[in-house]
Amino acid sequence: MREVYVVGIGITSFSRLEYPLSEIAAYPAMMALADCGLAGVDQVYVANMGAARINRQTGLASAVVDTLSLTPAGAALIENGPASGASAIKEGFLAVASGVHDVVLVTGAERMREVNNLEATDFVATLSHPLAEYIYGITLPSLAGMFTRLYMERYGVTSRHLAMVAVKNHDNAMLNPFAHLHQKITIEALLDSPEALTNNPYVAEPLRFFDMCPVSDGGACVILAAADVAKKVKRPLVRLAGVGQATDTHAVQEREDPTDLLAVRRAAAKSFEMAGVKPPDVNVAELHDAFTILEIVESEEVGFFKKGEGHLALERGETRLTGRIPINPSGGLKAKGHPVGATGIGQAHEIVTQLRGEAKKRQAKNAKVGFTCNFGGFGNNVVCLTFIRED
Amino acid sequence: MALEIYAYRCRKCGAVHYPYRMVCRRCRQNAHNEFDPVPLPRRGRLLTFTILHTLPPDFNVAKLGLGIVELEDGLRVTGQLDIAEPKAGMAVQGSVEVVRRGEYEKTHGLVFRKA
Repeated sequence: MREVYVVGIGITSFSRLEYPLSEIAAYPAMMALADCGLAGVDQVYVANMGAARINRQTGLASAVVDTLSLTPAGAALIENGPASGASAIKEGFLAVASGVHDVVLVTGAERMREVNNLEATDFVATLSHPLAEYIYGITLPSLAGMFTRLYMERYGVTSRHLAMVAVKNHDNAMLNPFAHLHQKITIEALLDSPEALTNNPYVAEPLRFFDMCPVSDGGACVILAAADVAKKVKRPLVRLAGVGQATDTHAVQEREDPTDLLAVRRAAAKSFEMAGVKPPDVNVAELHDAFTILEIVESEEVGFFKKGEGHLALERGETRLTGRIPINPSGGLKAKGHPVGATGIGQAHEIVTQLRGEAKKRQAKNAKVGFTCNFGGFGNNVVCLTFIRED
Repeated sequence: MALEIYAYRCRKCGAVHYPYRMVCRRCRQNAHNEFDPVPLPRRGRLLTFTILHTLPPDFNVAKLGLGIVELEDGLRVTGQLDIAEPKAGMAVQGSVEVVRRGEYEKTHGLVFRKA
């Protein structure tokens, strides 16, 4: 197996974007090509979840490779729910590692704000089991709400801990020009003030408005290449050292222990094993906080903290920008935004920026090993990536 | 006749599944359709729940109770709650009713009430 490097990166703002989906995918790709100075690529993977349903466009990869004038490179669409982004990176990794391709461009894009928020939520809810979950009005927030209630009972996590995640990630997003939400929030306004129920209404009890990520448009791109190409590119060397993926039951009710996110644990373990590092070696991480509870639980399942102790580490400030292991320096899905198909690539973009030492005001200290967790369904399809700065 | 929702018992190893799956999760040895349908028990215990305030377009209500119920035989199912103040752990009784109305069709599923 050959070693695989990230040689170029690009991203759009995550917000409401008023240009076509194919351009949301192509714009970060142009930035990434300019970043590494390469003129051509062998293969393009496009990560997206909603083109066919929301934007009424199929065959998106063919549109993207053409508008970039990268033809006749190969092109294919990867749809894997909210884990589409990291799944497409995994395919790119396999293509370079196997020796089939030398340079692979992986770009992700979503344009969900073309429909209203309820339709967007319903579109994401089609991930759930059609007969056992979806028919009842189950949405991703409702699965998260039921999960949170169990987690609170068993481990003593409170609404205050969830709000601490939101405040931290909103603070980080203030330092990220590409983030969707540039809005400073306080625990007092979310929970304690007389206006708390207006500021922060319940969405899926016990989860409230500020426990949810926004519905975002956005795109992000990474270019993967073999070692000989990477060494010619005049950019800091960041290696994609570990790729791990795992699945779990489609319906959440069938999980043996409904407070476990087994697929996260397994995907992370595979990724670390391939990279030859352990969770304490990680200096900076992007975890899939579509709901605030997920940042806490994933920080345990990937091995940064013991099961049931993630909220205690959060209390101690260990996951802040200045802490032992900064989590979601970009603002995370919570505040940077969640353009579903692009999210996993957005996470990789942030980690590469951090490992290059180019994150400016949100730079994590001594960032040599970085990690991402991209979470699909309610934990039924998870991809974890480990990145290592070389040189 | 009361409507039933069925679970599926593997003819090879006896494991019961809900929802339907094509291959038994325990033995993985059954051929296609080698399951016997068995009606889901109606009584159980509310494992966890949420009150959902932002509903998909098909639902014309302000909020909706949703929960995961552990049935008497240990199987877990998701369903709607018609309970004013749900509490985790409470005993519930299910029935099969219309749970979703689209433009042209209605869908039946489980609704749970206080037992």
